[in-house]
Amino acid sequence: MGIECTVPGFLCFVALTCQAALAHDMWIEPATFIPETGDIIALKLKVGQNLLGDPLARDSQLIKRFIVYDGNELKPVVGRDGGNPAGFIRPTQPGLLVIGYHSNPSTVDEAAEKFNQYLQEEGLDAIAALRAKTNQTNAPVREMFSRCAKSLLLSGPPSATQADKTLGFTLELVAERNPYLLRGGEDLPIRLTYQNHPLPGALVVAMNKANPGEKISARTGADGRVRLKLKPSGMWMVKAVHMIPAPAGADAQWQSYWASLTFGALAGGI
Amino acid sequence: MAELLGFADFRRAGWRHMKYLAAILLCSTLASAHEIGTTRVTAVFQQNGKYDVEIVTDASALIDKLEDATGGKAPAKITPELFQTFDPTFRQRVKLTFDGSGARPAITYSVEPPVDAMSATSVTMHLTGDIPSGAHNFSWNYAWTFASYAITIRNEGSSSTEWLEGDTSKTFALAFPVKPLSRWRIALRYLSLGFTHIVPLGYDHVLFVLGIYLLSRNAKAVLMQVSAFTIAHSITLGLSMYGLVHVSSKIVEPAIAISIAYVAIENVFLAELKSWRVALVFAFGLLHGMGFAGALKELGLPRSEFVTALITFNLGVEAGQLAVIATAFLLVGWTFAHRSWYRARIVIPASAMIACMALYWTVQRLAI
Repeated sequence: MGIECTVPGFLCFVALTCQAALAHDMWIEPATFIPETGDIIALKLKVGQNLLGDPLARDSQLIKRFIVYDGNELKPVVGRDGGNPAGFIRPTQPGLLVIGYHSNPSTVDEAAEKFNQYLQEEGLDAIAALRAKTNQTNAPVREMFSRCAKSLLLSGPPSATQADKTLGFTLELVAERNPYLLRGGEDLPIRLTYQNHPLPGALVVAMNKANPGEKISARTGADGRVRLKLKPSGMWMVKAVHMIPAPAGADAQWQSYWASLTFGALAGGI
Repeated sequence: MAELLGFADFRRAGWRHMKYLAAILLCSTLASAHEIGTTRVTAVFQQNGKYDVEIVTDASALIDKLEDATGGKAPAKITPELFQTFDPTFRQRVKLTFDGSGARPAITYSVEPPVDAMSATSVTMHLTGDIPSGAHNFSWNYAWTFASYAITIRNEGSSSTEWLEGDTSKTFALAFPVKPLSRWRIALRYLSLGFTHIVPLGYDHVLFVLGIYLLSRNAKAVLMQVSAFTIAHSITLGLSMYGLVHVSSKIVEPAIAISIAYVAIENVFLAELKSWRVALVFAFGLLHGMGFAGALKELGLPRSEFVTALITFNLGVEAGQLAVIATAFLLVGWTFAHRSWYRARIVIPASAMIACMALYWTVQRLAI
């Protein structure tokens, strides 16, 4: 996939030329990112690639946490089991809403070639090296994967006091600045944590729904941070994948966590 | 700030959601936890030889995909007509085959508005047609889903459900082979398919035949060209259908357009039949035969009556061409061919128009 940025913590632009359908991203897509106070907002959980995807039906067996933080307290996101959209919220006062969806693990069987391509695409070089070291490169795999998706919605005017919240997800992207205050040419600082500790060296990729083929990516520094220069318009998804060997006794060789963070922009940009 | 919604809404759970829920429950009994999308496919095969494949999917997600594939922008209002306009794009994403031969179903689109405030708008596609006679199995591929989906096969009393990933194909045995159509009925059907492939569907072939006709008012000239064309297209149609010749439609289709342009342009400069013209029409006939084969492959051929269908389709094509010539003769040849201005006022302007149209198609087909 295109050019890879190997300088930790530095911003780089990556124009992807290869759009092979490999592993699929998962993100939260609300009916609107800037709801009016009092409106009921539908939240779709979508799976796909390049922000093109299918909604998932709400599955209570798969939900570990599906929550919303409104600046004061955490509440469950309600929905009807089997329903699409999977969840609904109703902001009752202005502010930044932090939505989180953490799934239980699903399993998937993958052919070696497909899995190797996916490792390359998601920047999971350490796993590829580990497979090579143990002569597993050509072996098919069973993988357990969990979703750690977040979304930031803004009701009312933006302010610097509004902040993303750490929800304690296994893999988590946290915006360290209110993205709704971003101006053109400014960086959005983002922190990636794994088990609540900074995750260094991980590939963080951002894409905009208006042009998802053009990706912006950077590897996290020692403090788990990246700074991404995102133009303040349209819908953004920032994502990162982390993989570890599956725990002993698990019916899989690898366990992965898929973090995503979606947010929009105020009408017409800022 | 985000408060719970009224639980009365949950009690009004629509049937659609019960189906999703049933799908999730079914899946959870089959395997460990698995992400399930909201697409559902049901294929029904009836004793009367008809099939009906129903795809139900999230309307806005499908619109996103159609917009992405075409680079177009759909209007905000979701209507069946909107999906109808994207029909050629959607067709490319579903593959339906019987015994390995592709089927071209009729597709209807309907939009189901949300059953309540907690549902999304969904779109239902019905892919319908006749099961080819004697078919034993059915393969399915819907390469436009990113999440797992369920396909239910109903075959006269028996019903089974399987889980498919977006890009996988699956072959299902049909519980009963559909009673084969009689040879006579197959012959009649392919005769009619061949004819309609020229009139009214094959406007490019129509223009080619008109180009042949317009060259000369001499009946022998028309007869010689038509014979050369017929022999040639019969050869490549047969060879292509038996898999002995294969040229990509990316080459054949623009070449057909060029052949039409050539014949029409030559009409402007040539008023009588030359031997090279017959040879060229023969060569162009070879090309058109490959085009006919592409169309016939898309229609599908019954294995049991392959030769019958091939011959009658070709005869139908022939009948269509003769109908074009007969009509042209009755409209202009009969009354005007002996007039002094026939060539100047009919042959040359008509040929020029045919040439323009064909050159436009050439550019268009090369661009695709």
